[in-house]
Amino acid sequence: MRSIVFLLFFMCVAVQAQTKMSISEAETLKTLVKSQALTTKTISSNFIQYKHLDFLSNDIITKGTLAFKTPDLVKWEYTDPYKYTVLFKNETLYINDEGKKNQVNMGSNKLFKQLNSLIINSIKGDMFDDETFKIEFFKIDNNSLVHFIPKDKKSSKYISAFHITFNTKGDVIEVKMIEPSGDFTKIVFNNKVLNKPLADAIFTH
Amino acid sequence: MRFLLISICLLLVSCASYPKKQHFQLDNSVSKSIENPYFSDETKDYIYKASIDVYDKHFGGLLIIKKINEQEHRVVFTTEMGNKLFDFSFFEDDFKVNFILDELNKKILINILKKDFKVLITEKINVTNRFSEADNHIFETIIYNKKHYYYFNENQLSHVIRTKNGKENVQFLFTEISTNFANQISIKHNNIKLQITLKSITQ
Repeated sequence: MRSIVFLLFFMCVAVQAQTKMSISEAETLKTLVKSQALTTKTISSNFIQYKHLDFLSNDIITKGTLAFKTPDLVKWEYTDPYKYTVLFKNETLYINDEGKKNQVNMGSNKLFKQLNSLIINSIKGDMFDDETFKIEFFKIDNNSLVHFIPKDKKSSKYISAFHITFNTKGDVIEVKMIEPSGDFTKIVFNNKVLNKPLADAIFTH
Repeated sequence: MRFLLISICLLLVSCASYPKKQHFQLDNSVSKSIENPYFSDETKDYIYKASIDVYDKHFGGLLIIKKINEQEHRVVFTTEMGNKLFDFSFFEDDFKVNFILDELNKKILINILKKDFKVLITEKINVTNRFSEADNHIFETIIYNKKHYYYFNENQLSHVIRTKNGKENVQFLFTEISTNFANQISIKHNNIKLQITLKSITQ
């Protein structure tokens, strides 16, 4: 019996760490993130990606750097344990796979177009679109956590939710994409620098 | 008439079995129980960076293989960015698609992948014939109704050949081997332009 009491106590503590935001708190966060997204011209950051598959003993960890330049230049560069770069530019996806170069025209591919805008919006955190997502707001310690649950059936077949964590300044510090199976990809940003001039050369294939 | 004879002869030669063409010697002195050890450790997550060249297209991703228990292997392919493309379960006599992206959900593709990965993960080989050739011991077995030849050199599995009508059809090559682990694997198809190259990034 005593152990049940302990268990309940710990469960309460665990639940308390993540509390629902009030409507006004949620509005404040939305305004902060949107204004932050508007003033963000460039982003450069390191990231660590954790791919979690339930049946694996450990998450698969990959590391790299991200560069973003407004309005729609994005480069993901994986450096460890392999070299792989994806560049989103002019509706085209340029891939450099350890020297092997490839490109995919997104103009004709709706899925890639959606993916691209999703990536840009999630980097900036500005995904507050009530028509596309059911949105839930939480507080964790000093940070904010927002769940974006796709409403569209086709999207929800692949992604059941995006969980984006913001710091107090309204910057994205973590993006978690959860699949319907419960497996997820978590990207944690560190050493993120905003509005540092980024040369166009960074975004060449 | 002479022409007919020649063509019949040629036909017979070309229909000869793979071991005959390769000049294998039947050798029943070697052990009958062989194993493919490369995906046999339940405690290990097998993670490979994969390159797939099909016709003139190049795809990359991560191939993740895990032995779940004695009966099951999971084989999952994701993009480098983590998006799952397919997720298969292999059982001893069964196969299940847990997930596949709509764009890839084609029977012919699933069949090719199923046959290839089955060879990678099958551990206990039911030997139907044993041969030797130079330093190699070669074991014949049947997987999904196709003859496969397992080449062992100094007790180490170096490659597997799948044959079709007595000819080499698919080659599975294991290299950079260190104690029951293949750091590089390549799967090369001869009848279609398809090559899968796997490089270990197991952490």
